Amino acid sequence: MSEITIEKVSFYHGKGTPYELKALDDVSLRIHSGIITGIIGHTGSGKSTLVELFNGILKPEEGRVILDGEDIWAKPKEIRKVRFKVGLVMQYPESQLFEETIRQDISFGPKNMGLSQEEIEERVLEAASFVGLDEALLSKSPFDLSGGQKRRVAIAGVIAMRPDVLILDEPAAGLDPSGREAIFSNIVDYKNKTGSTVVIVSHSMEDMAKYCDRIVVMSGGRVFMDGSRDEVFEDTERLRSAGLDIPQITSLMLLLREKGIDVDGGIYTIEGAMSRLLPLLENRSKGDIQ
Amino acid sequence: MDLPFIKVENISYSYRDEDGAAIPVIRDLSLEIEKGEFVAVLGHNGSGKSTFAKLLNMILTPKSGKIYIDGKDITDENMSEEEVFSLRRRVGMVFQNPDNQLVATVVEDDVAFGPENLGVPSAEIRKRVDDALATVGMSKYAKHEPHRLSGGQKQRVAIAGIIAMLPECIIFDESTAMLDPIGRKEVLATVKKLNSEMGITVIMITHYMDEAAMAKRVIVLNDGRIALDGAPAEVFEREEELRSYGLDVPQCTSLIHELRRCGVRLDGSCSTPEECASLIARALGKE
Repeated sequence: MSEITIEKVSFYHGKGTPYELKALDDVSLRIHSGIITGIIGHTGSGKSTLVELFNGILKPEEGRVILDGEDIWAKPKEIRKVRFKVGLVMQYPESQLFEETIRQDISFGPKNMGLSQEEIEERVLEAASFVGLDEALLSKSPFDLSGGQKRRVAIAGVIAMRPDVLILDEPAAGLDPSGREAIFSNIVDYKNKTGSTVVIVSHSMEDMAKYCDRIVVMSGGRVFMDGSRDEVFEDTERLRSAGLDIPQITSLMLLLREKGIDVDGGIYTIEGAMSRLLPLLENRSKGDIQ
Repeated sequence: MDLPFIKVENISYSYRDEDGAAIPVIRDLSLEIEKGEFVAVLGHNGSGKSTFAKLLNMILTPKSGKIYIDGKDITDENMSEEEVFSLRRRVGMVFQNPDNQLVATVVEDDVAFGPENLGVPSAEIRKRVDDALATVGMSKYAKHEPHRLSGGQKQRVAIAGIIAMLPECIIFDESTAMLDPIGRKEVLATVKKLNSEMGITVIMITHYMDEAAMAKRVIVLNDGRIALDGAPAEVFEREEELRSYGLDVPQCTSLIHELRRCGVRLDGSCSTPEECASLIARALGKE
């Protein structure tokens, strides 16, 4: 179980050029181990910069990135080890598939780790099963697959490195509803079986409300909210003030409140709405009968 | 008798796999779309949605069946090149990836690209470009470089490029899929405006159920056939059936169905939070 802590990190894109842009501004944050943390924020809020700092693709100009108690940049020559421990699945990762067969593509990471052939094969099979790819597909070309299946191959390629921390940037973007659900339940399954720390970046408030344990909201390069799922989604006002969408069920609750119905705005799932509305509606129909 | 704007008659289309075997994607599909309609097309990946769009835009030709645009048979193989171009101009298409559709290095040049190719006189092009950029709310970016814009802005420039050709119908093939929530809102507001203010027929292919709820009519494709066709609220009533096609319903619709399963009487159907709120408020005697 791994934990990432960020201490007073600032990061600039194009530092020293006329296009200098402060992407992260004195950010301190803890990514808790063994749970799923969701990161939400507008384009330009700093969330992608943040996840690229987590696995050492980017190096902070100020502050420290700490993985399990050690500054990942203490020994810059060993940064590659960090990248094996913290796996990052980028946006539209299927565009990075390149091998002749799916097996070779998933093997790419473990091969670079210098593992034995048997170990690689074992990991490929394990990763394929985590993402629900049939073994019979492994000898096929990744380019014959559907978009959703390609996405799974790309995710399997990262999982095959058995990272302690798995980071996924918009893992379900562009997929149809059943594809979205399949990817997310694979991720939850993976976390439950391996105890890995998982970070998901997404724009979908509904998906975040459904699958994440903790939520971090980024805005203007700073941490705007950081708390449990309930804490964050119950504070509708604050979410709205950051110009973020709120889950559809929450909008419904706010509309009902405007109509004088006694519900609060902090409800964000169908289950939550049911437990609030059902008693109200049942009382009402009993009243009708009397 | 007036013909519908788009009439699709028993079309079929198939791709060939690497062994040369035919894989049917569209199977004996027929439908009609009237001028000025706002239609959303739903379907899981591989249901035939994008192929359907490409058939309407004449990027692909059906293996059998006919498609008529404003009474003109667009599947006619003997059509001259001019006729093909003039039909393509009437049905424009906006694709998914904002980065793949912009060709010029300045926004206004990009918007002018279409009309220039149509041989429109330059004074007229100037006017069309200005009007198109104003319609999508991008006038102040006319001299900007497209690659520095946000995703939503790029898509709006792509839409302006289509509008500048004065189409009667625009097909959006998952045009919001790669955008963030702000970009999505910008593009959807533009789409709505094109339909309601300019009377452009809109066919919107999407994976987002809440976007489909904006349309007047929803067509669900499954396995190359039309599985459902109706008003959004009617289509979303059939939650079980939609799920069997790998689709979903908006959260609010799902909540209403769940309440009914628990024995609550709620009359009417809904596909948006507003409709759902009035349904519940009525049941509670608050409206």
